[in-house]
Parts: sequence; structure tokens; C-alpha cells
Amino acid sequence: MREMLLKKQDVKDLCLRASDEWETYVPLEEMGGDVQLVRVDANEKKASLDKLNLDYERLVISPKVIGFPQLEYLFEFADGRITDLARAPTKKLLFGLRACDLKAMLFVDEFFGRNFEDIYYLNRSIEKLNVLVGCKRPLRDCFCTSAKTGPFLPVRYEPGRGRASDFDLQMVDIDSAYLVEIGSRKGQEFIDSFQEFFEEASKQDVEHSATAKKAAEDAVGLKLDFEKAIQNFCEDKIPESIYEPIAERCIYCGGCLYVCPTCTCFNVFDEKQGKLGIRCRNWDACVFQGYTREASGHNPRQEKWIRTARRYEHKLKYDYLTTGMSGCVGCGRCLSSCPVNIGISQVIEKAQNI
Amino acid sequence: MARVLTTCIYCGCGCGLYLESDNGKVVGSYPSGNHPVSKGGLCVKGWNAYEVVNKIDRLKTPLLKTNGAFKEVSWDQALDFVSTRLTEIKEKFGPDSLGFLGSAKATNEENFLMMKLARAVFKTNNIDHCARLCHASTVVGLKAAFGSGAMTNSINEFEDADLFLVTGSDTTEQHPLIGSRIINAVNDKGAVLIVVDPRKIELAKYATIHIQQDNGTDVAWINGMMNLIINEGWFDQEYIEQRTENFEQLRKVVQTYTPQYVEKVAGIPSGLLVRAAKLYATTKKAMIVYAMGITQHTTGVDNVKSLANLAMLTGHVGFASTGVNPLRGQNNVQGACDVGALPNVFSGYQDVTDASVRDKFENIWKVNNLPANTGLTVTEMFKKALEGKLKGLYIMGENPVISDPDSNNVRKAIENLDLLVIHEMFLSDTAQYADLVLPAVSFAEKDGTFTNTERRIERIRRVIKPVGNAKADWEIICEVAQRCGYKGMDYSHPSEIMDEIAKLTPIYGGVSYDRLDPFGLQWPCPSQDHPGTVFLHKDRFTKGKGTFIPCPYLPANELPDDEYTFILSTGRIYWHWHTGTMTRRTSTLDREVPAAYVEIHPKDAERLQLKNGEQVRVSSRRGHIEIHIMITEKVKEGSVFIPFHFREAAANVLTNPAVDPTAKIPEFKVCAVKIDKLKT
Repeated sequence: MREMLLKKQDVKDLCLRASDEWETYVPLEEMGGDVQLVRVDANEKKASLDKLNLDYERLVISPKVIGFPQLEYLFEFADGRITDLARAPTKKLLFGLRACDLKAMLFVDEFFGRNFEDIYYLNRSIEKLNVLVGCKRPLRDCFCTSAKTGPFLPVRYEPGRGRASDFDLQMVDIDSAYLVEIGSRKGQEFIDSFQEFFEEASKQDVEHSATAKKAAEDAVGLKLDFEKAIQNFCEDKIPESIYEPIAERCIYCGGCLYVCPTCTCFNVFDEKQGKLGIRCRNWDACVFQGYTREASGHNPRQEKWIRTARRYEHKLKYDYLTTGMSGCVGCGRCLSSCPVNIGISQVIEKAQNI
Repeated sequence: MARVLTTCIYCGCGCGLYLESDNGKVVGSYPSGNHPVSKGGLCVKGWNAYEVVNKIDRLKTPLLKTNGAFKEVSWDQALDFVSTRLTEIKEKFGPDSLGFLGSAKATNEENFLMMKLARAVFKTNNIDHCARLCHASTVVGLKAAFGSGAMTNSINEFEDADLFLVTGSDTTEQHPLIGSRIINAVNDKGAVLIVVDPRKIELAKYATIHIQQDNGTDVAWINGMMNLIINEGWFDQEYIEQRTENFEQLRKVVQTYTPQYVEKVAGIPSGLLVRAAKLYATTKKAMIVYAMGITQHTTGVDNVKSLANLAMLTGHVGFASTGVNPLRGQNNVQGACDVGALPNVFSGYQDVTDASVRDKFENIWKVNNLPANTGLTVTEMFKKALEGKLKGLYIMGENPVISDPDSNNVRKAIENLDLLVIHEMFLSDTAQYADLVLPAVSFAEKDGTFTNTERRIERIRRVIKPVGNAKADWEIICEVAQRCGYKGMDYSHPSEIMDEIAKLTPIYGGVSYDRLDPFGLQWPCPSQDHPGTVFLHKDRFTKGKGTFIPCPYLPANELPDDEYTFILSTGRIYWHWHTGTMTRRTSTLDREVPAAYVEIHPKDAERLQLKNGEQVRVSSRRGHIEIHIMITEKVKEGSVFIPFHFREAAANVLTNPAVDPTAKIPEFKVCAVKIDKLKT
């Protein structure tokens, strides 16, 4: 397994060809300039790929939405009969992911299979081929180098398995072309089946990619002492006073949780009319009172600051204690979607300095 | 799967969002990162705007009431019924026996057609909509003072303001993405915030000065401020001389409003008034921000004119980050007014009494004899219906049984009609009274435009096919017009309606769909090469010179007495929208605040021996509701507040239908009520 080269002008064709075999998701620029990871439309493949944008700054909505849509219909019921609406599993190619988003997606994959196998999620995301495109221009509110989630991920080996990286393929923009690193056997198989698009990279290309990676890393301006912050969280050193100003300022839009690539909370409700019903689930957010209010009306998290504290403790303490990984990947979305400019980076900054 | 960029359906902020569909159903709404208003954020209602589209109880087919019960009928039968019945009533009782209500939730194109239907087809100016209940005072007041009844400045200018005078606007609840701009400017950029509001609203905690005036005393404190500003020499002499008229008259009227008098009338400590007056007058980039707390009074127009006076006196109109900024409530209340869903004007505020204007519309619409008399307002229509003079009412998606004051009386008025036709997405409380309910599509199923509070004309875009047999309001109106024998409403797409609006409406003259991608245009936009207007009245007022129109203070129509001892004000809360037909069907929102409540001060609760959460009876002279209490210092002693979203404890059973004499807006913000403990 060696590094390969993919010419920039061939990227669209590769996606087009791959989409015959795979349910292919690529970053497309929408009207208004936002880039979203969108399924290539089977009927209008060429037209939709014209809007391909691999240089995007950040997907507004993280790729978790592919397995976990904002609203999902689970099953229908009528007269005691239940019809399951879970999707049949499909082979998905996610082309053009950022490293932080992939780390988050792996976290979510693990969550939905941990205690209970959530077929609604798992069927949508069971077989994925993940192609990373490393970030070239990190935004000023990103901090992946501190969270150790990017802008590029390392090739990893596992005894007896060979390459077993988080990614299957990782693309590095080296101006003239993309240098493609192979992260797994699946990645190699993909290259093999579309070999006409790839050629072997030269030593210079590889050197060039190292320079490009370093430049991207250096461009991440926000540096946080993530480990220290998590340690302080785990040792319960965080004073309540850091949550109060946040809770005061928060307008309770739920945006930071909706956009968070590792947030997985949902609410379940039924749509009913006559004898017909549909069970639905939709994104929920732990900052809402209704999230923890009990049937009696009592709410163990009645006060705003307690709900705020819980959110940060979940991300930076409980997730870490449960999985060994922080629930924050440093993507910066919470800040960029917040109407009143609150971001988890501000909490980490305070927590590291305690 | 499909995704479109569209505009939020809730408040007048006009935030940009993407709607996503899967298998013909809407499954998500996401913020637009580059949108000039929302900039990657949304409030909780916008984030959850997807859910209401596919609710299981959406109306999918026309419903005709036969022997007291609704029966599903075909569109053919339904349209025949409505055109026949409307024509019969018009012929038997005359055009003015019919009334038409547009909707601040529907598009510009649809409101334009609704007023065209009323005027061109049925020859009546009895066309109005719920702007009557929110900013009618603004349209009248600011038009008289400045020549234009719209928000003078733009939302992005909030970022650079040095001072906000927020009065009668619970901005973080009603316009969250504007409220957040204020929070950011105050906390991060050191802007000064003056809040004048009887309630301790969320913004009050960021305020340098919070003045809690007594409800309904706005003219008094504004005049008081102006008196101080004149006496202390804090006014802008040069601006007044060059850009305004009638200053001497103002000086005369306000001179009796001494701080002592204001303290007596409005309950404002004189020291606070002096500080606030000085800060506002002497800060250059100072924005006045207001909403229903100013407009929903029998003195609503006077309140608005007084704010306009205050801004002109200090030279605070016609520059960036200044102005008089009414925050329009509904997503398209600005637009519904702009396109003439009002009884006195055609689109672009062109007077129906002006023969040359009528000529212009008659030529383009190919009709004769457009009615020349000013028509009835919403509030007058119900009065006429009660008197038996209004026979038929055609409503596009409004819910007056819950939204209008003194709702017991509204119900009686509606029952007294010979014909009620309504377009609706759901069988609302008003729809239940209808003879015919026509199923209308949601914003996800049609194209069109909304105009937000900063005059930004923005697209909405279709992402799924209509649910069931529902149709877009514009299509329904066109079919009704055609069946009534009118040939001039034959459009294949809303963009053609906008072209007609542009032709007839100078302020929209340069607007066409090809110019509205992605984020719209701000009117006035008089020609195809005009870039739109960020703030109004630069260098000169729309009407030439700004006019000071001094107003003496008049008390509210109904104040507490020995029997009805509390002042009630009503309003919205963050989690819900108006009559709740959408937000109460949205799981996250309805879970958060599932029931109505009345806010009451701890001292009042103690005096009445009430516990938090206890059910009480709240009564006014017009009716009573049962509702649980929320004990909070947000309200002043002697005042209570009830959100009006909840049909099961509808605040408008209590409210006073007394209206402002010119704007005809009801006094939702002041009436007298009593609170009784329920016997157990």
C-alpha cells in the first residue's frame, strides 16, 4: 500500500462512477453558499456534481445527519398492526469528510450500537467508506489540533489486520493534485476498483503532502489545553460560577446541540389520528426544561445553569469517562451557530486554567 | 432527498433556513450560514420549523358544512360553492356586505391577490389582515411623521449601535435573532441599553437603565423626555431646522410634562427619566426599538408619533445605526401591508381615495369602477357582522376567534355571518365556524416571497409536493376569481404575480424573482438597477421634511377599579406562536410550555393566598378563563400578564375591544381584570 495521486480534474468523474455502485454523499454548495454533505441525485448526477466543493470551510450540519436525521418516522401503527419504517441498509460512500467530522461520526456510530442496537441509525450507516479531505483553511473558531481530531488523521496499524485507520482514504491537497493515503483494506479495495483514476505518488508528492499538512496544522489558530481541561472536569474541579454567565446569556435555541456532531439525544412522539398513528423521533436538546421535566412537573434541572453545566460535563467528562474520547471534537460549530456567541472553546479555556 | 434555501415562517426577523425533504416529507430545518440576518443561527422555533409541515391532521381536502357537520367535497364543488355564494351575497346586499382577510403568514403574492379579489372582482375595499392587531399604529404614525411606515434601519446596523432604547418589545422572546444582536452589542461592544417596559423582560438584566412605567402611559414619559431634552439643550438644533417642521408646536405641547408630572402619571422616578433622556439624546448612534407594547393601545398612533418626535428632536433618523425601528411581528406582516391587504391603500400604500391611483390599477387589472371609499378594518368587520351588515367573510389562514380581542363577541359575530370561507392548514378554532374550509399548503409546498421587518423581500421555495389535495392560497384565489368570471388572474407561477406587483408598486418597482437569489432585496427598490435600501430617510425624509406631531397624554380606555383591580397585558412567549396552530403541534415547543399561565407578582399572590401553579379564575367585564398562576417578579405589583397562545385559556376572552381612533388597533396591552381563587 503506497500513497496514490488523484488529479483534481478527475474528482467529479470518480464520484460519478462511484455513485453507480455506492450511495454517494459529497459536499455540494447550495444556494446561499452553504456546503452540505448531500447524496448525489441519481437522476441528475452530473448537474449536482457541478456544485461539488471540497475546499469548503465547514458543513453547517455535521454528517451525523445521514444516520440520524432531524426528524425520522420509526413505525406506523393501526388496529394493532405495526409496520416498521426502518431503512434497508445501503452501502454508503462519504466523500470529502473533514477529520473532525469523521471522528465525531465514529463516536456516534459507537453510541448507537453500545447498549442497544438502534437499527434506525445503524441501518442508515452500517457500511460506510469514509474518504477524508483534510482541511486547508481552518476557521478561527476551530480547534482540532487541540482536540487531536485533525486537520489530518494518522495511518494506524493493528496487529494481524494491517492498516486500520479511522479513515479509509485521506486526501491531501498538494495544489497540483490530491495525494491519497490509504487507511484501510476497504480503502485499498476502493482504489483497486477505480484504479484508472489513480497513479502512484512520487517521493516529492509525499514530501509536498507533509508540508501541506504542517501548514494546515499551523493555520489552526485556536490552541487549547484540552487534556488539562478534561482532567479538571474529571476531577470535579470546575466551579459552578463558570456556568452561570453562560446560562444567563443563552437564548435557548438549542442550536449548539443540534449542530454538535456528537449530540445524539432525541425525543419520541406519536402522531395520531383516529386509529392511525406514526411513531416519530426528532432531535432533542438537554438545555430545554422539557428534556428533564418529570411527569409530576418536578424538574431536577429546573435552574438554567444546571442544564448548562450538564451539557458541558457530558461532553468533557462523562463522554471521556465512558469512551476514553471527549464528546467535543473541536469543530467549532457550537460557536458559529450561536446567536449570542457562546462556544464550548470558551468553557475549555476557563476549565484548563483552574 | 432535496434541500432548498427558504425563509422562516415565524417572526419578522426573516431568518434564512434550509428545509430538507426525504420521500416527500420535510425532515429538517437548518440555519443558513451566510444569511444576512441569521448568520448561521436560528431560534428554537426556526430550528423546529420542519415539524408542522407533515402533521397527520393537516387538512387534505375541502370541507363543506352540511347540516352542521363537515363533509369532504371535491375542489370543483368547493370552488363552485364559494364563487356562487360570494356572488349571491354581493348582488343581494351590495359589495360592502363582504369582507376579506389576507394573512401576515401568507406570501406577498397571495396577499396581493386577496386584495385584488376584494377590489377588482367584488368591488369592495373591505380587505384587511392581522397587521390591524399589531402594527397598524406604526403604519399610520410613522407615515404621518416620516412619510414611510416601516422600520427605518436594518438588523445588521444593531451591531454598530452605541445605544438602544427598547420599549414595548420583549425582543429576546419575540424577535430572538434581533434580541441576540442587542445582547452581543451590550455585552461585547459596550453599547448602552435603556429598557422602558412595565415587565422585567429578559433584556432588562443587561440594561443600564430599566424604567418600569405604568401600562399605557407611554405618551407621558416620551413627552417628559422631550421636555427635559429641550430644557437642557440636548436637542439637535441644526437637524430640526434643516430636516423637520412644526417644532414650535411640539415645544408647546411637551412643556407641561415635567419630571414630577411624569412621575405622578407614569410611576417613573424622575431621576431615571433624566438619566435616560440625557443618554439617549447625547449618544450619536442611538436606535429606538419598539413593538406591541407601544402599538397595542387606544393611543397606539400617539405613542408611535411620540417616538418619532423624540428621534427627530435628537437628530436620530436618517443615519446608520439610528432610527425608529418597529419590529414587525409576523414573518410577512410587513409584506402584507406593502402589497395592500389594507382597507385604505393599494399596494405600496397608494391611497384608494386617489382617482389617479385607481386609474392606474383599473388599466392594468382591466376593470372599471374600483371602489373609492375606505373599507372596513378587521375590528370594524366583526362589529358590522354583529349588526348584521357584513354578511360574508372570506379569510385566508387567520384565526380571529383566538387572536382578536373580546373573543366571545368575535364568536357571536362570526356565528351571525351568512357565509364564512377560510383557507387553512388545520381545522383551527375559526375554521370550525366556517361553511367551507379550503385546505391550504404550508410554506414548504409553494413558492413566493415574504418581506421581513427590515423591508427585505425574501424568497420561500417549494421543497415538497402539496400534502393531499391542498393548494397554495394564490392558486385558490385565482380559481375563485376565474369562476366569478374575472379573467385577469391567470398566473402560472408566483413570479408573474410579483412582476405585476412591481409594475403597480413604486417601492417594489425593481423587484423580480431573478433578483431575489439568494437573500432578497430591501425596499424601496424602485428600478431594476436599484440595489435596494438599507436605511430610510437619508438626507431627506420620504415625505420631504419630517413633521413633529405632538400628542397629549390620554389614559388607557379601561383601568382598574374596585371590582377589577388588576391591569392585564397580553403577549407572546419565545416558545409559541400566536394562536398556537403551528407551535402547539410542534413537539419540542409544546413540551416546553404545554399550558397557559398568568404571571403575577409575589406580593399579589401572597395577598390573595395563592400558591405557585394553582388554578385561578381570571375575569374581565367580557368573560373569564381558568388558568394556573406563575408567581414571578417579572410583572409589577397590581399587573398580570397572560400569553395569548392557548385556546383552552384564551387571553382574548378577557381583552378590551376598544380601539385607537385612527389605526383601529385594539388595546391588548391594558384592560382591567380580577383574580379569584377557585373553590375546592
